[in-house]
Amino acid sequence: MRVLEVSDLVTGFPAGRERIHVIDGVSLYLEAGETLALVGESGCGKSMTALSILRLVPRPGRVEAGKVLLEGRDLLSLAVPDMRNVRGAEISMIFQEPMTSLNPVARVGKQVVEAIRLHEKVGVPAARERTLELFRRAGIPDAEARLDAYPHQLSGGLKQRVMIAMALATRPKVLIADEPTTALDVTIQAQILELLRELKRDFGTAILLITHDIGVVNELADRVAVMYGGRVVEEGDRSQVLGEPAHPYTQGLLRSMPGFATAHERLAEIPGVVPPPAEWPAGCRFDTRCERVLGHCRSEAPAATPVGEGHRVFCHAVASEIGEAP
Amino acid sequence: MSEALLEVSGLRTWFPIRKGVFRSVVGHVRAVDGVDLTVRAGETLALVGESGCGKTTVGRTILGLEPAREGAVRFEGVDLAALAPAELRPYRKEVQIVFQDPMASLDPRMRVREIVAEGMRSFGLGKNEAERTERVAEQLRRVRLDPDAMDRYPHEFSGGQRQRIGIARALAVEPRLLICDEAVSALDVSIQAQILNLLSELQEELGLAYLFITHDLSVVRYLAHEVAVMYLGQIVEHGPTEQIFEDPRHPYTRGLLAAVPSVDPARRSAEPVVLGDVPSPASPPDGCRFHTRCPEVFDRCSREMPEVAVRGDRGCRCFLPRATEA
Ligand SMILES: Nc1ncnc2c1ncn2[C@@H]1O[C@H](COP(=O)(O)OP(=O)(O)OP(=O)(O)O)[C@@H](O)[C@H]1O
Ligand code: SF4
Ligand SMILES: [Mg+2]
Repeated sequence: MRVLEVSDLVTGFPAGRERIHVIDGVSLYLEAGETLALVGESGCGKSMTALSILRLVPRPGRVEAGKVLLEGRDLLSLAVPDMRNVRGAEISMIFQEPMTSLNPVARVGKQVVEAIRLHEKVGVPAARERTLELFRRAGIPDAEARLDAYPHQLSGGLKQRVMIAMALATRPKVLIADEPTTALDVTIQAQILELLRELKRDFGTAILLITHDIGVVNELADRVAVMYGGRVVEEGDRSQVLGEPAHPYTQGLLRSMPGFATAHERLAEIPGVVPPPAEWPAGCRFDTRCERVLGHCRSEAPAATPVGEGHRVFCHAVASEIGEAP
Repeated sequence: MSEALLEVSGLRTWFPIRKGVFRSVVGHVRAVDGVDLTVRAGETLALVGESGCGKTTVGRTILGLEPAREGAVRFEGVDLAALAPAELRPYRKEVQIVFQDPMASLDPRMRVREIVAEGMRSFGLGKNEAERTERVAEQLRRVRLDPDAMDRYPHEFSGGQRQRIGIARALAVEPRLLICDEAVSALDVSIQAQILNLLSELQEELGLAYLFITHDLSVVRYLAHEVAVMYLGQIVEHGPTEQIFEDPRHPYTRGLLAAVPSVDPARRSAEPVVLGDVPSPASPPDGCRFHTRCPEVFDRCSREMPEVAVRGDRGCRCFLPRATEA
């Protein structure tokens, strides 16, 4: 069953008399209990996709078209107070920087208790009991004493654990995790990845994982959607996208990683840079950097080409290769 | 193996902690607390470790930006601390630095021409304006930028191009050693590949040595000839890169490597072996600095601090018999 289904999402910002579509026709879905990783380099629209789903796009931007179905209900047409109830209860978020969601002057235990009581009719003692249980579950050592700590008294890793405890306090259907381990050291990251794996198993929460780190994708994701220039360019199972990438951008991205290269040998480069949204090409957005570019790449946006079970690629070159095959 | 260019021995850099109205010193952050390392001519030594372990402070002390409390920094055998300011000048030019955040390290009000020429001027390179302009152009070509870039400002460039400008500035005084402090960490993978390739080419062309400070182990494996692993102000293990990755001996190095996410879709391997957080460098643990997190700790470790046991070209700061294997 699909808990979350986003289709043809368009989010735009005004630029002079025009509007620039920083999200341009993104479709994706999350099955119950699965983790979908949204990957891509900075500025490709990963976080803006999440903000659009949550209806938190900063002004003057706005979602201009599309559907966001949470268990069949379209979030984009909900009344504002109803949407507020969805956020934090049915969909929770964790961010790279825990302090964007933690109040620096309130004790962390109290913040989680309040988050629970905002969405559920429970007394303080019961909510506190549940918070303590969540802190233990999130691997916070000395959990009972930590309830009374202020955020600044906790290390980066502990703050991220508190964030995760808070995000799960309302038993959400979907957890959106935006670069949840990017600011952490690798030994702390390994602990948080392990925690997220356990929570996924025990709570069955579906996770939309936003990251630029292919290693984190590989460790956590079931499926992967690769974004470039405000669009999804490739989508499939983790092993398909990382093991048999078909889109020239995905291929280039993986080849340019030192982790795949032989020591001291020249790394494969993707030439050029991601252009700013105002300069995104009319057809395929990758055409300015692509080695396999064809004539009509410049003018037509490529449609989805299936290359395997559940594995789709948006590329004219791939489409024509497959079309030519018998 | 080539000869030693820079040798650091017994280096200590402490920062005073001041309290009260009289700002009296109540303790010290022992950011660097007994570090030995050697950078060889034309080679790359990677200094790795988690945040706050003292990597940046090592670099800044070598550059003379922080006063060393103890220990020596030798360049081609000359102890820099023993030199008078006038004698020191020629050595200052030999070691230059490239920072993580190209935007923060380039003065936004200066044109690229002035940024690159700044160091030349202070070291008296280039007789007149025309000669300096020619040298600036040469540096820009060296980092594969169009010399026309000279008359533009940093904000007109992308992150990767700004990092090239930072490298051009460092190279303009013809150093023999570049300290790269997280120089590619803020860049997207495809841009990171371009800069890593550039650094390799420059090493080859100019015979440059690098002290490459980073927390990214896949980059280390790819480009370093030797590795020094740092924990709480000390080097815990050092040796040739392949040996350190194939046969890590220090429990911290092992834990660090185990924690690195795999990018191979055929396996998931990030494992939290080293648990908890790094203790504060203001009150490091007695005995082995790592004993509070070490999975192999035994009674001696909390009482005594292990010395670095050197065997051939490897060293390991640990009491386990493994540390001293040939
Ligand atoms: N000027 C300073 N005054 C006081 N403490 C400092 C100063 N500079 C650094 N420190 C402290 O010294 C320790 C080592 O810091 P350093 O910046 O060298 O670490 P690092 O390994 O470079 O970390 P990162 O990976 O986060 O860059 C830290 O605890 C840091 O807070
Ligand atoms: S000396 Fe002891 S605590 Fe330190 S790393 Fe070795 S085994 Fe671990
Ligand atoms: Mg640093």
